[in-house]
Amino acid sequence: MTLLALYLLATMDGAFCGFRTCMGRQPLIYKTRYYVKGVLRGILASQIASWLSLLALLAAMGLSSDRTLLRSDLEAAAARMLLVFLPYTALVVSNVMLRLVPSTDLRSATSVLFLGPLTFLRPFVMIAGVLFGIWSAQLRATVFLGLFVLVLMLSIEFALNLYNGEIQEKQIRLLV
Amino acid sequence: MIVQYDAKNLARLPVSKAETLLVFEGFLNKKAVRVIEKIPSSNGLFDRAAVDRLMLTVHWEMQRLAEEFYHGNRVLRILRATIDTLRATGFPAPIRIVDVGCGIGYTIRWLAAHTTLPKENVELTGVDLNAALVNEANRLARAESLPCSFFHGDAFSNNLAGQIYISTGVVHHFRGDDLTAFLRRHDTETTQAFIHYDFQPWTLAPFGSWFFHVIRMRTPLARHDGVLSAARAHTAQTLVSAARAGVSNLVIGIYGAKIWKTPAPRVFHALVGFRPNLVPRIKENLGGLLGELK
Repeated sequence: MTLLALYLLATMDGAFCGFRTCMGRQPLIYKTRYYVKGVLRGILASQIASWLSLLALLAAMGLSSDRTLLRSDLEAAAARMLLVFLPYTALVVSNVMLRLVPSTDLRSATSVLFLGPLTFLRPFVMIAGVLFGIWSAQLRATVFLGLFVLVLMLSIEFALNLYNGEIQEKQIRLLV
Repeated sequence: MIVQYDAKNLARLPVSKAETLLVFEGFLNKKAVRVIEKIPSSNGLFDRAAVDRLMLTVHWEMQRLAEEFYHGNRVLRILRATIDTLRATGFPAPIRIVDVGCGIGYTIRWLAAHTTLPKENVELTGVDLNAALVNEANRLARAESLPCSFFHGDAFSNNLAGQIYISTGVVHHFRGDDLTAFLRRHDTETTQAFIHYDFQPWTLAPFGSWFFHVIRMRTPLARHDGVLSAARAHTAQTLVSAARAGVSNLVIGIYGAKIWKTPAPRVFHALVGFRPNLVPRIKENLGGLLGELK
């Protein structure tokens, strides 16, 4: 259950990364379809990261001499990670929900005071969450898997930025 | 600084990279120097295509800020009140809105996309001195079949002049006498109102702007210029004094300085001017958002 929760959070994070890395790269007024594509791209990237994580987990299970212990160790680490990730996610989601209120000042305030700073904090929250999760892990495999997932999740936004940046550059080169 | 046009014939002028670097080195602005050093040049002059590509990248990125701050909605609120007031006070003729220094024309395109203004005999136009940005604004408008148009030229010239002038982040580029001279150009028979949005200076604005640009902007030029703009923003008093010195036939004030009825300042405020006969109804329409008009 905790691993499923982490998977869902990773998917949501991918969606936000996809959206964010599209912003400021398409100057049309109507661009819902553009953003939907961006979000789907982010979700796809997070699925790739999740599948790679699952493969690493299965490999670790296969190599483990005590699978039951590894499983309980992984679940305990994942549960500790959720203690960091869930409050952060709740803050992000509540601010996104606030943007449904039809007030330009309130919507802008969510950007300036919360969503902007929360975006800035994202990599630190990820690092803190994973370190907190693996800090008291009993097995090296759990530590390795935690760090592997951290690297994958941190590289999602980087990769999407590179991808969207290249598309933008090509578009601008066609114009000038 | 990296793009220059002849103000009279609008021809693009060659810009020396070394001279531009000297200017910023003189200001001890290392960040700007680093940004400029990266722009390609040939024979000592900035490569025009590279500069245009950079300007487009930066303006695409800047549009993101306008979107996040719901700038279209903000401009619409005061424009709607102004146009309704003009019509209610018996102004029957077509109204032309001119966005001065429109860049890639986000505000005008947003208004064309989200309002019925074009159907109400209101012409939506933007004017800029940068031809590459104007071409882009027109391309984007065409791509979405938006009823608006953009022109390369002088916004106050006879063929481009309008009844309502708007701008965003433009007035802080004018300093001292140039600010008064810019505002004096509104002092014509045809001008009914102007609404110039710009950063509102306050203690935390440069820090807030720096933080926000670091998070949201990707190009070093956008990051640098955005922060500098917040630091160079004029106070309400400077804007109002310059406008009152330069414009005799409009009543001048500041709009939207505070968030709701709190003392908290908005990121942007607007220098506004209205024909005296419009003032009572404008005040009625905008209420507390409008500061003292004189």
